[in-house]
Amino acid sequence: MSNPLDHIPEEIRRTAAQCRHYAMCKIDYLETGLCPPAKKTPYVSYFPQGRMDLCDALAKDLIPVTGAAVDIISSCTLCGTCDRQCHFVTGMRPMTVMQALKAFLDAFLKKGGKAAVIPEDEPLKALKNIVGEKWATNDPAHLIAYANDPFPLADRQMPGYVVLPGSAEELVEIVRFADRTHIPAVVRGNGGSVFGFVFTPGIVIDVNRMKKIQLDPDNWTAVIDPGVTAFELQKAAAEQGYRVNTAEPAATVCGNIVCTGLFSTWANVYGVGADHIVDMTFVDRHGKVFTANDRNAPNVFGFEKAVHPSPGICLQARVRMHPVTDDEEGLLVPFTTLADAVSFAKDISRRRIGLAIGVLGGHYLSTFISPTQSLARQTRKIFSDILEMTYVVSIIGDRYARNSIRQMVPCVIDSSTFRMFLLGLPQLIGSDLADIVRGLESDRPAYETVFSQEMLPVLEEILTPSPGTLAAAVGEDLRDFYEELYSRPHMTDLVWLTMFRIVSARMSRHKHMFAFLIYIPLEPVDAIHELITCFSEIAEKHGIDHDLGFIAPLDLGKRGILEYDYYIDHTDSADCEKIRLAMTEVEPMVDKMSRSFKGITFLKYIFSQGCARKENFLYT
Amino acid sequence: MPEKKIFCIPETCSKKELLGYAQPFFKNNGGEIRAAADDITGRRRSKKTCFLLTGATGFLGIHLADMLAKEGHTVILPARSWDNTAPEERINALFKWLGREGSPSCVQIVPADLNRPDLGLSPADYHRLASSIDEIIHCASDTSFSERKRPQIEKANVENLHHLLEFAAKSRCCFFHFISTAYAAGKKRGVCPEALVDTRSFFNVYEETKHRAEMTAAKRCNREGIRLNIYRPSIVYGHSRTGKTLRFNALYYPVKILVFLKNLYLEKHREQALESAERMGISFSADGTAHMPIRIEASPSGGINLIPVDFFIAAFSAIMETATDGGIFHITNDKTKPLFDIIHFTRKYFHITGIQAVAAENFPAGHPNSLEILFNRYTEVYRHYMQDERIFDNTRAGAILKAKGISCPDFDYRIFSTCMRYAESVNWGNAS
Repeated sequence: MSNPLDHIPEEIRRTAAQCRHYAMCKIDYLETGLCPPAKKTPYVSYFPQGRMDLCDALAKDLIPVTGAAVDIISSCTLCGTCDRQCHFVTGMRPMTVMQALKAFLDAFLKKGGKAAVIPEDEPLKALKNIVGEKWATNDPAHLIAYANDPFPLADRQMPGYVVLPGSAEELVEIVRFADRTHIPAVVRGNGGSVFGFVFTPGIVIDVNRMKKIQLDPDNWTAVIDPGVTAFELQKAAAEQGYRVNTAEPAATVCGNIVCTGLFSTWANVYGVGADHIVDMTFVDRHGKVFTANDRNAPNVFGFEKAVHPSPGICLQARVRMHPVTDDEEGLLVPFTTLADAVSFAKDISRRRIGLAIGVLGGHYLSTFISPTQSLARQTRKIFSDILEMTYVVSIIGDRYARNSIRQMVPCVIDSSTFRMFLLGLPQLIGSDLADIVRGLESDRPAYETVFSQEMLPVLEEILTPSPGTLAAAVGEDLRDFYEELYSRPHMTDLVWLTMFRIVSARMSRHKHMFAFLIYIPLEPVDAIHELITCFSEIAEKHGIDHDLGFIAPLDLGKRGILEYDYYIDHTDSADCEKIRLAMTEVEPMVDKMSRSFKGITFLKYIFSQGCARKENFLYT
Repeated sequence: MPEKKIFCIPETCSKKELLGYAQPFFKNNGGEIRAAADDITGRRRSKKTCFLLTGATGFLGIHLADMLAKEGHTVILPARSWDNTAPEERINALFKWLGREGSPSCVQIVPADLNRPDLGLSPADYHRLASSIDEIIHCASDTSFSERKRPQIEKANVENLHHLLEFAAKSRCCFFHFISTAYAAGKKRGVCPEALVDTRSFFNVYEETKHRAEMTAAKRCNREGIRLNIYRPSIVYGHSRTGKTLRFNALYYPVKILVFLKNLYLEKHREQALESAERMGISFSADGTAHMPIRIEASPSGGINLIPVDFFIAAFSAIMETATDGGIFHITNDKTKPLFDIIHFTRKYFHITGIQAVAAENFPAGHPNSLEILFNRYTEVYRHYMQDERIFDNTRAGAILKAKGISCPDFDYRIFSTCMRYAESVNWGNAS
């Protein structure tokens, strides 16, 4: 009988394989600090995400125990940061994996196991010459962290090398070396990678050491390196009283711009595509450096409805910053139907009321505000079945915008009510309120009664909102952490949450999310309904969990962007087959819809054209 | 030889004409009907009648099913799955709730769906069912009041009735029993007769759809030679002796709101509760009595017409047995309960002061307090029923019930407290 520590238990491996690669462990979004070894050596392999991949690979015997593997595993201090960070967004507890890795390594070494030494080859030596000894590797324990992501339709592909340049000059040299030697190369930021685009048998260029941010308040711009994440840039801008339009917090800003263009609910006022860029510097695949504003440079602002290669690797970007007023607050406007919610979002966008505007479906809202999946599920049921709050329009606005909105709709959930609701959510589930409201017969939706001014003191009494109340929803050992976390005012501030988007990764807490993004016309609403119905029918046909994500208005409400999500277990081959079959129907369906309705454009056509002028893809 | 029709309404007749035929209801107009009254009575007595009863997953429906089963009749209960619970499971649970071991052997549960024209049955099953049943009791209904639910209410109360009547026409059904409501009379003051009435004015969509359903049933049954009884109960509460009920709406809901608010503050930490309660205008005396200053508009001449479920079942059974020629019957309480009395009962039972019934002319315009606004928001749809001035003539039903020695109990404090004790014991039906 083998020593149980000789191998990694299957249950642990399964946990490790569930890592969603959303990269939230790579940003200090909860002020817990980063995983200490990864902070010093920011290969993905040192972050919890990489350690999860390493665990899965070792358990499956895909790679040997190498020198890097020993270092990666040994360097873990079992500090628990990964547990707190990962639980917040996924509900997972990676600490069990980290402990199992350590136990596995101990057993391996005690048995006299020797770490495999991976010999250096010429390309590696050349790469090390460019970036230094520490920042290029061909050790499988590192490579495995760059070999796959949860995208179910791409196979694992081990790169030959991973290299982390420290400057634009080094990055250009790497590209020139790759071009010279005909070794394929791809670049990846430190952000999440979930679409299977950044794999190569050649060189993976990880820009995570290139994180310089220079704010230029005189020009309302920021100059950033390619490794700067959305969270880091937003934080730097916010400290100076500005805001940037960014995407998912762990995603690199430059990568997002080049890949799909930046869009968020802020796109309502800040635009998309070229709207964010003042200038960008690229190196093309032959190593030629050019800037977007150079009249002789390739036209990155144009758009063609076809799959294009990217103009090159972004070395630096000068992006726009936006002013912030001190009276901004968030509010939610509930609706029972999608048509009403979209119509309202379009209306206020057209009237230039509010800043960030987004129509959220029930899954998003309940998931964003719930610290556990179970609470999210129960919350959603109460929101939709009892409060009749099937959709909300989330708005950030100054006091004038908020006053206008209050005159336009019968019910708003303002920032203080939102805070009360969020902090008291566990009490809502067990309270008699749901029963009382269930019995309510009214010609108006129940939420109008529940969120009426007279009801607010009652709600407060029912919910007894406090960080401690909310923390009661999580496991006992995490309660102190959650209580302290939610004592911070920004954690319940809709403005901050909308800017930093740290809760949006929760949307795939129950399963990996497969997001479809489509630019749409906001009228006629029939087009939106038809699109959603088609997505829903395809998913149902293949037995895939699915839901509307969000709709955000763009360009004064003439257009918008819609996200529809399919949810699968990316480690389940049956689920992967389902999504493969569904994909064969989704793409023709969206293409067909785009021929029927002006303004429908699949985001896949924007890939690598993210710097394009929005007019070029919204109105052609 | 088929018996002559005892009522006949031409297929093409207008609503006005229909009403003409219905005053008095169900005249013998010389046509053919499906079964003679004696035959119907004989089959029932020999327990050969097979009843199809809809709505058995509801409060009245399950009581009717139980009553029929106890009388030894064969009963078929069409029902659908709900919330991942199979029809059998739903109905068995209700029989158990009634204190039975489960569905009696004479009860047959058939998965079916009235929302569908074919009742959700295969052609063979549809035909089999149609050739099995003798009488139909239609108790399924959507009792929502809110206008924005109109499509769903119309579907349940009118469109689905068409599906059932079509089925009845194709079946060997000879008697259709329709559970309507006394409030199908619509908006009016004074006497509401036991007859079809011509009105287009209703307090809510529930009343309106029940009115339309009565018309529909009368017309189709006449055309098909099917006898029709329309039973019109007023507001049904729990069992008069045990208080047992399934639903805590209507009578219960406004009381439940008050108790909810009182308990919300009372059950919390004392000091914190007092401060918070004060903001709502609620205060507590040393013995736990809550002072809740709420003025409720009341009509001195109006009130609430309440009947217990046991009376309804007894009345239904008696009318069904006696009125084999068909007709409309008010199953109501001769003693409408003034709102003043209900408020008094509530104050006494739940130890609440400050709630007052105020005559409309004395109700101060504007400036309601927060508690009043809140109470009104939650109970708005019941306002008309709390000060109802409709008087339900029950000459026809009354004669039958009197002969059988059945009378409706006065809704006094004893019954009120029985009902409320039961409500509290089951947390007002809230399982969580």
